[in-house]
Amino acid sequence: MLPTPLVKCDYDKIYEPSEDSFLLLDALEKEQGYLVEKFNGLVLVCEFGPGSGIVTTFMIQNRIPVGLNSVYLAVDVSPWAVEATLETAKLNNCDKGTVLDTVQGNLGTGLRKNQVDVLLFNPPYVPAEEVPEVPESKDDYKWLDLALDGGEDGMVVTQKVLDNLDSILSKNGVAYILFCARNHPEQVAEEMRLKGWKIDLVEHRKAGWEVLSVYRFSRN
Amino acid sequence: MKFLTTNFLKCSVSACDNSNDNFPLSFDGSKCELIQDTTIEFNPEFIMNVIDRVDWDAIVLVAQELGNNSLPAAKPVLGSVEGLTEDDMAVLRDLHLLFIQTSIKEGEMKCRNCGHIYYIKNGIPNLLLPPHLA
Ligand SMILES: [Zn+2]
Repeated sequence: MLPTPLVKCDYDKIYEPSEDSFLLLDALEKEQGYLVEKFNGLVLVCEFGPGSGIVTTFMIQNRIPVGLNSVYLAVDVSPWAVEATLETAKLNNCDKGTVLDTVQGNLGTGLRKNQVDVLLFNPPYVPAEEVPEVPESKDDYKWLDLALDGGEDGMVVTQKVLDNLDSILSKNGVAYILFCARNHPEQVAEEMRLKGWKIDLVEHRKAGWEVLSVYRFSRN
Repeated sequence: MKFLTTNFLKCSVSACDNSNDNFPLSFDGSKCELIQDTTIEFNPEFIMNVIDRVDWDAIVLVAQELGNNSLPAAKPVLGSVEGLTEDDMAVLRDLHLLFIQTSIKEGEMKCRNCGHIYYIKNGIPNLLLPPHLA
């Protein structure tokens, strides 16, 4: 088992690493060999919605996928999360000596096309009436809701990423996305297969009353 | 924000995706505060991979905007890691200094197409759009 980063955040503002976060870490640990095999040259690892930064820090800490040839970019809509991601990296001695930047932004909208080699996304997947609006002030207490509420079927935000996956990922790029059962992941996967994507289930686990899964999306 | 990251960002306005001017964002050098981070070790192979990967025209343009006019117009062509000459190593060291060690701590960047200005504060670029543009 690879070490898990230490995290200390204000959980009124930042999503506290939970079963879903740990499942994603386990999936990535399992995928190390696949990723090393898949890439040579520079690898741009990008995480959408890093929250506390635990996943990006885990990647840096364990030099996934290819130690000294990776650059890391973490994009979050929340100003608290972009700061927390840097703090978590620092807390685990992963800030110095690493090419890591955090960006406040909305998913891939501010990223140049077809650059991301490894996309990591633990989305707001909880079914909710709607996806909350982005608060105007940093002091708003609603930032945390954005990390959780995923609108209809909990799929509204994830679907946006899937719809744009072709322009986000590099030619050889691969995405790891977390789902809960209420997102109907098998149905989502089937729709993506029809669009020509290769989808593999990497990890799944029962967590309380929730069944969580991590799928890998790549080009055929 | 590391200089290298400027090669991965574009304007967030979706209408600008139809333009070739949404990348790279334009930097106002007079408004940018640059800092140097010397904690990242020089690794010639890594820099060669970066060169391989980046959009060189964008690198040259942004470097000029930030006051560095020393880059050649064409991407440097280097052989294998084993066959690097002293001159090659000097080029790679310069690029390490620019790509990885140089960060923009405070500043602003503007879309060449729509003119929207994005701010960089405390090293973090903000690419979120105001509600009427999002
Ligand atoms: Zn624009």
